[in-house]
Amino acid sequence: MPKFLIWIAALAALIALPHGLSFSQQEILVFLTINVLLVASYRLLTLTGEWSLGHVVIMGVGAYSSALLTKKLGVYVPISMLLGGVIAALIAVLLSFPLFRMKGFYFLIGSFAAGEIIRLLWKRFRDPFGGAKGIKGIDPMPDFSVGFYQFDFFEPTSYYYFAGIIVAVCLWILWRIEKSPVGLTFHAVHWQDKLAQASGVNVRAYRTLAFAIASGFAGISGALLAHYIGTINPNAFDIDLMVYVLTWAIVGGTATFYGPILGCVVLTVINEIVLRELGLEQMRPLIYGAIMILSILFLPNGLESIVQKFTKRRAAEGAPERRPAE
Amino acid sequence: MTDFLEVKDLTMQFGGLTAVDSLSFKVAHGSIHGLIGPNGAGKTTTFNMISGFYKPTEGQVLLRGEDISGLQMHEVARRGVVRTFQHSTLFAELTVLENALVGTHMPFRPNIFAAIIGWDSEDRSGAEARAKEALEFFGLDHVMQERAGDLSHGHQRALGMAVAYASHPDVILLDEPFTGMNPEETRQMMDLMERLKADGITILIVEHDMQAIMGLCDTITCMSFGKFLAEGGPQEIRNHPAVIEAYLGGARHVA
Amino acid sequence: MLDLLAQTGLNAVYAASYISLVAVGLVLIFGVMGVINFAHGELFMAGAYAIVALYAELHLPFFVAVAIGLLFVGCLGLLMEKALFRPLKDNPLGGLVASIGFLMILQALAVMGFGVRMVHIPPVTQEVIVFTEKVRLPVARLYVIIAAIVLLSALWYFLKRTKFGWALRASAQDPEAAALQGISITMTARIAMFIGAGLAGIAGALTAPLVSVNPHMGHSVIVTAFIVIIVGGVGSLEGAIVASVAYALVHTFVTTFYDGVLADIVGLSLMLVVLIVKPTGLFGSADRA
Repeated sequence: MPKFLIWIAALAALIALPHGLSFSQQEILVFLTINVLLVASYRLLTLTGEWSLGHVVIMGVGAYSSALLTKKLGVYVPISMLLGGVIAALIAVLLSFPLFRMKGFYFLIGSFAAGEIIRLLWKRFRDPFGGAKGIKGIDPMPDFSVGFYQFDFFEPTSYYYFAGIIVAVCLWILWRIEKSPVGLTFHAVHWQDKLAQASGVNVRAYRTLAFAIASGFAGISGALLAHYIGTINPNAFDIDLMVYVLTWAIVGGTATFYGPILGCVVLTVINEIVLRELGLEQMRPLIYGAIMILSILFLPNGLESIVQKFTKRRAAEGAPERRPAE
Repeated sequence: MTDFLEVKDLTMQFGGLTAVDSLSFKVAHGSIHGLIGPNGAGKTTTFNMISGFYKPTEGQVLLRGEDISGLQMHEVARRGVVRTFQHSTLFAELTVLENALVGTHMPFRPNIFAAIIGWDSEDRSGAEARAKEALEFFGLDHVMQERAGDLSHGHQRALGMAVAYASHPDVILLDEPFTGMNPEETRQMMDLMERLKADGITILIVEHDMQAIMGLCDTITCMSFGKFLAEGGPQEIRNHPAVIEAYLGGARHVA
Repeated sequence: MLDLLAQTGLNAVYAASYISLVAVGLVLIFGVMGVINFAHGELFMAGAYAIVALYAELHLPFFVAVAIGLLFVGCLGLLMEKALFRPLKDNPLGGLVASIGFLMILQALAVMGFGVRMVHIPPVTQEVIVFTEKVRLPVARLYVIIAAIVLLSALWYFLKRTKFGWALRASAQDPEAAALQGISITMTARIAMFIGAGLAGIAGALTAPLVSVNPHMGHSVIVTAFIVIIVGGVGSLEGAIVASVAYALVHTFVTTFYDGVLADIVGLSLMLVVLIVKPTGLFGSADRA
C-alpha cells in the first residue's frame, strides 16, 4: 500500500476521532495532543544523552509567559504562544550555564532543583505570577473561521483541531531536526562527546542547542495548555506531571522518534479512558503503577520495540531493502 | 618543508608533579613525525596538550605561528589539527557511514534552519560524498551500513582514522595507533599512514614501541621523564646512546 | 531573641534527625544497588501508616508499633529488591521508572486503606522538656532525635566494624571485585535494601504523631532527601549526615524568620550552588551516575 494512503487514512481518523467521544473524553484528547508535543520535545533533549527533571517547569514558563503577555500587554494570542516558546528557550539557555557543568545523575537532580526554584518563585511572587493560586481568566484563543469550518474555542473539538495543527507542525520541525546533520551531531555528542569534540563539534553549544529547542517546544505546549484551560498555577507544573513525561518516554522507548509519543498515547488512553470506563477510579494509580513496572520488566526497550519487530519483519519479507541513511 | 607545528617550552604540572618539562620540538609540514619515549615519559600528556584536551601550565603550541595552546579541543580541530584516540573510540551505536558523516562536521557545518526548510541538500550530498570518499580511502566502503560497534578490531581503528580524515585535516595526531595489533594489521596501518602522507597530511604519532615506527617516520623526537632527549632520523635515534639508555631502563636523567 | 534562636536550633536538630535517617537510607540503596529509589518518600509514608494502623487503630503500645513498622517497611525494601531492582540491575533508568511505579502503588494502597484525608494520631506523650519559658522540646521529638543518633551510630559501627559492613562497602565500591572476593552481591543488596528502607520506615513511624499523615506526605520528604544527598555527595554517608544538619539548620531558620517557600528556594539554591562549584557534591568523589 502506498505510504501516502496510510497517512491520509491516519489523518482522516484523527479528524473524525473527537466525534465518537464524550465531552470529557474530548477534553482528554486535547490534553493528550498537547502532551504529545511535550514528550516529543523531551525526546530531542534525550538525544544528547541528558535526562532533565525540569522539562515540565519549562513548559510552565511558556504557559506563564504567554498568559502574562496577553493579560498585561495585550499581545494577540497565537503570537503570545510563539513568544512563550521563545521565552522558554531563552530561559533554558540561561539555565544551561549552571546545569551543563553537570552530567548524568547530577544533571537530573540539578535540573529538578532549577525547575523547583522557578516554580517556587511563581508561588512566592504574587505580582505578576499570582502566587499559589496562579493566573486566572487567561484570554482564550479568539474564535475565527476558515470558510468551511468555524473555530469555536469553547468547544474542545475546535481546540483539538487547532492544537493538532500546531502540534503537527512542531512535530514535523522536530522530525526534520532529528533527521538532519544537526540531529546526527546530537547523537554523536551523546555517544562519544570527546570524539565529537575532536571532530570539531562544539559540544557545549550543541547540548545547549538541544536544550533550547526542546524547551522552546515545551514552552509552546505550555502556552497551548494555558489558553485552553484559562487558568494556570504552580502546582500544574510540579514533579507529578514530570514523572508522567518521564514514564511516557521510557515506557514508549527513546530509540525512535515515535517511541515517546506511543508511550504517551498508550499510557494516557489506558489511564484516562480504559480504567475510568471500567469504573476503577480509586485503583487507577495502582494499576497504572503496576503497568509501568510490568512494561519496564518485560519490555525493557519500550513499546517501540514491538513496532520495530513488526516493521522489520515486513521489510524482510517483501519490499526492496530500504537504505537506513537518507 | 616549513616548520608549521611547533611546540615551545611546553610544561605541564599536575599538583607538584611535573609531567612535561619545557619540551620543544618542531614538526615539518607533510612529514610523519614520531614522538616516542618509555612509559611515563609524558608523551600522552604532550599529545593531550597539543590537541587541546589539557591546557598547558606553561609554554606554547604554535600552528603556522599562531598560539593554539589552551584552546578547546574543537577549536584546535577547527584549525586543522585533528586527533584520534587510543583503543577504538568510535560512535559505536551509529553506522559506519554516520561515523564518517560526523567527521565531515567541519567542512560541512550543519545549519539548523536550513536543515528544517530543506535548503541544505547540497551540503548534505557534499558531506555524504566526502564521508564515502574517506571510507573508500580506508577500505571501509563495503561495511558502510554496519554498526560501528560490530566491526572487527582492525576496521574500527581504520574507521577512527577515516573519521579524522573526513574533516580535511592538515595534521592528524595519532595516539598509539599500533597498540594491540598483529604484524599484518600493523603493516596495513603503516600503509594507510603512507597514503595519508601522500595526500599531503602531516602526521604526528605518539608511540611507546620504538620499533613499530622506525620504518615509518621522517623525524623522531624522543622524550624521557617529561624532558626532551634527542631528535633525528630513525637511524640516528636508533643508535643514539641516550635513547638506548632510556629504553634499556637506565633510570637516570640523561641530558 | 536568644530564646527564639535556641528554640529554632532545637527544631533544626529534630528536622536534621529524621531527614538524615531518610537520606542515609537513600544513599545506602544508591551505593549498593546503583538505583535512585524514587519510592523512598513512600517508604517513609508506609512507616507512618503502620503507626496509624497499629497504634491509632489497634491500640498496640507505641514502641511495639514502631518496631513492627520498621520490620514491615524493611520487608517492603526486600520486596522491591527482589521484584524490581534485581531484574533491572543493568538498567538504571528502568530501576528509576520501576520505583516510580512502586511509589504510585504504595500511594494508591494508602488511599484505598485509609482515605485521602489526613489522619489524626493521638499523641504518644504530652510531656515537654522545658528549658526556659520559651525554649521547649516535646518528648515525642526527643524520641526522633535519640532514634537518629542511636541508629546512625549503630549503622556506622555495622559498616566500619563488622564483616557484613565490610562486604557492603566493598560491593558498593566495586561490585565485580567484591564478587570475586566471594561476597554475595544478592546478600549485600538485600541487607542494604532492608536497612535503607527500614530507616525510612522508622523515621516515618516516629514522626507520624507529630506531622499530618496523608498519602502524599512522601513527596516533600523525598525532595528534601534528594537535596541532602546531592549536597553531601551521592554515595557518601557522612556527607548525607552533615548535609542533613546543614540543610535543617538553614531551612528551619529561614522558615522561622521569613517563610517556608523562601526556605525551600534557599535550600534548592544552595544545592545548585554546591553543584555548580563542585559538581560531585561536597563529600562526593567518583561519578557513579
